[in-house]
Amino acid sequence: MTAPLLDVRDLTVRFALPKPSLFAPRPHLEAVRQVSFRLDAGKAFGIVGESGSGKTTTAMAAIRLTRASGGQVLLDGEDLLQLDDEAMRGKRRDVQLIFQDPYSSLNPRARVVDIVREPMDLMEIGTPQDRLDRVRELFELVGLRPDQLNLFPHQFSGGQRQRISIARALTTNPKLLVCDEPVSALDVAIQAQILNLLADLKDRLGLSYLFISHDLGVVRHVCDHVAVMYLGKIVESGPTDALFEAPQHPYTQALLAAAPSLARRKSRGYVRPLKVSGDPPSPINPPPGCAFAERCPRAGDICRSTPPELARSGAVDIACHFPGPPEV
Amino acid sequence: MSRLLEIDDLRVTFRTRYGEVTALDSVSLHVDAGETLGIVGESGCGKSITALSVMGLIPQPPGRIAGGAIRLQGEDIVGASPARLQALRGAEVAMIFQEPMTSLNPVFTIGSQIAEAIMLHQNVGADQAFKDAIALLDRVGIPSPDRRAHDYPHQLSGGMRQRVMIAMAVSCRPKVLIADEPTTALDVTVQAQIFDLLNEIQRDFGAAIVLITHDMGAISEMADRVAVMYAGRVIEEASADDVLDFPQHPYARGLIDCIPALGRPDHRLAEIPGVVPPLHLLGAGCAFAQRCAHRNDRCDREKPSLVNHGRHPVACHGAEESRL
Repeated sequence: MTAPLLDVRDLTVRFALPKPSLFAPRPHLEAVRQVSFRLDAGKAFGIVGESGSGKTTTAMAAIRLTRASGGQVLLDGEDLLQLDDEAMRGKRRDVQLIFQDPYSSLNPRARVVDIVREPMDLMEIGTPQDRLDRVRELFELVGLRPDQLNLFPHQFSGGQRQRISIARALTTNPKLLVCDEPVSALDVAIQAQILNLLADLKDRLGLSYLFISHDLGVVRHVCDHVAVMYLGKIVESGPTDALFEAPQHPYTQALLAAAPSLARRKSRGYVRPLKVSGDPPSPINPPPGCAFAERCPRAGDICRSTPPELARSGAVDIACHFPGPPEV
Repeated sequence: MSRLLEIDDLRVTFRTRYGEVTALDSVSLHVDAGETLGIVGESGCGKSITALSVMGLIPQPPGRIAGGAIRLQGEDIVGASPARLQALRGAEVAMIFQEPMTSLNPVFTIGSQIAEAIMLHQNVGADQAFKDAIALLDRVGIPSPDRRAHDYPHQLSGGMRQRVMIAMAVSCRPKVLIADEPTTALDVTVQAQIFDLLNEIQRDFGAAIVLITHDMGAISEMADRVAVMYAGRVIEEASADDVLDFPQHPYARGLIDCIPALGRPDHRLAEIPGVVPPLHLLGAGCAFAQRCAHRNDRCDREKPSLVNHGRHPVACHGAEESRL
């Protein structure tokens, strides 16, 4: 078995909260709790979950944009969390990022040619002429025209801006592209364009994606492997097909039941079978047992007292005391 | 049968620096009691302008209702006095907006904001209105409503805020409820809760719902009838099943095919190339022609009108000539 490109082990992120009083101990919020996953080269790993589930924090901690409080992140066998700042800067070539909002992630006062070239300037890659050639090449690769090189971001539509972000992320020939909700801000028709572009790039350049999204349809389309997060923990993880076709965790099942689908018709009297009420609990004071217990239709006494451990069950890993297909 | 809400040949224009542009072009829609009409399209298609026209909330100027009628239970509200519109808004037709945080006043408690709406339209005192507000919060599924009524909007989650918006919108039992992308800012589980709540409310109050969305999945779960809009025109209109199973317009097909499905095996997504053209650049022909795989000369020359070519009304030359 080959070593994975990215191997995240027991990653934990803790944020300090304000002290309630001068002499009280400082409380902490555990946004990510012992998350482990592996991403093979050329594959896409998806993290899904509701807002506040820690999916973005996990990805940001994995590439050291948020400080992790514990765990290991092995990129090609090297622990990113142990690198000194200068070595980490060098590693950033291999890891690039696409943000959710293409409006706020591009400098409005810079021409797009400069925006896309800037990573190469910072990393001192090639001669200025090489850099310009590379920008032209990338523009074509992501489906933009060379005559658009000297325009400003506001002259582009949302989908085109996301293409610019992708071109910028590709300048350094990264191995890993972290996509943080790359299509949530786009219209459905444009969303399909960007998803197809990402799929093409993965095939042509052998890229790996760490893909964060709340949209299960998008994740199903893009990812080879999916982890479902809830309140900072992975509750179910496995190959995309296995997870979507036979989800074992009640939360995964609820997420799938909640996602709108063309197969569910009002005219045929569709009524949602699995309803999840309420909101996730606060991560500041998480419940002692399973975090999902309060909203779970299957929860028993053990769920409220003992947190379930992530364990292998068939094709997937699952953290649940009562896994299994949904009861109808 | 009399129509609860009927929009007839509505034309709305806006003055811009490019001259006067037509934001809505001969839009005709209707919705009956107990029915949900879905309006679907990308941003810039005129969905929200349609909703704002019905609420009498088009900023004038720069906007102008250049023609047509909006009849609410037979009464034409185009050109109605501001006082009359004020009386209708909330009582007869209410709206739920996309972003609940910006639609609620941050410096008043949610209970008092709902009570304000009740006192505006019903002849009740402040105490009774506040009690009614608590009952409504309970109805929309907010836990411990008597305590929550004293909370400020920032103390609630996004889903809770949208519930408060719904409570406020239904406080006077409006006959028409317009929901403008009510769940875009919310998680899927919360979106499902809000959809279920809207359906319950419709059953209880018999209200007509106009649901504005860009998501064909939401249409499938919520709508009885669908109008697909593009560049300010209705380009296809039929029952939800007809539109979803037999979409006629290439744009409607594109909107359905470009959704990454939950249960389908991997394949390339259909995409609609390009973007919605800016309104001032609309030519004489079909607004969708630039993005359409089936265009021909006639599409560039002549605007198609909404006509039934066999299945249901569609505005497409290709459908008319059965060459799609």
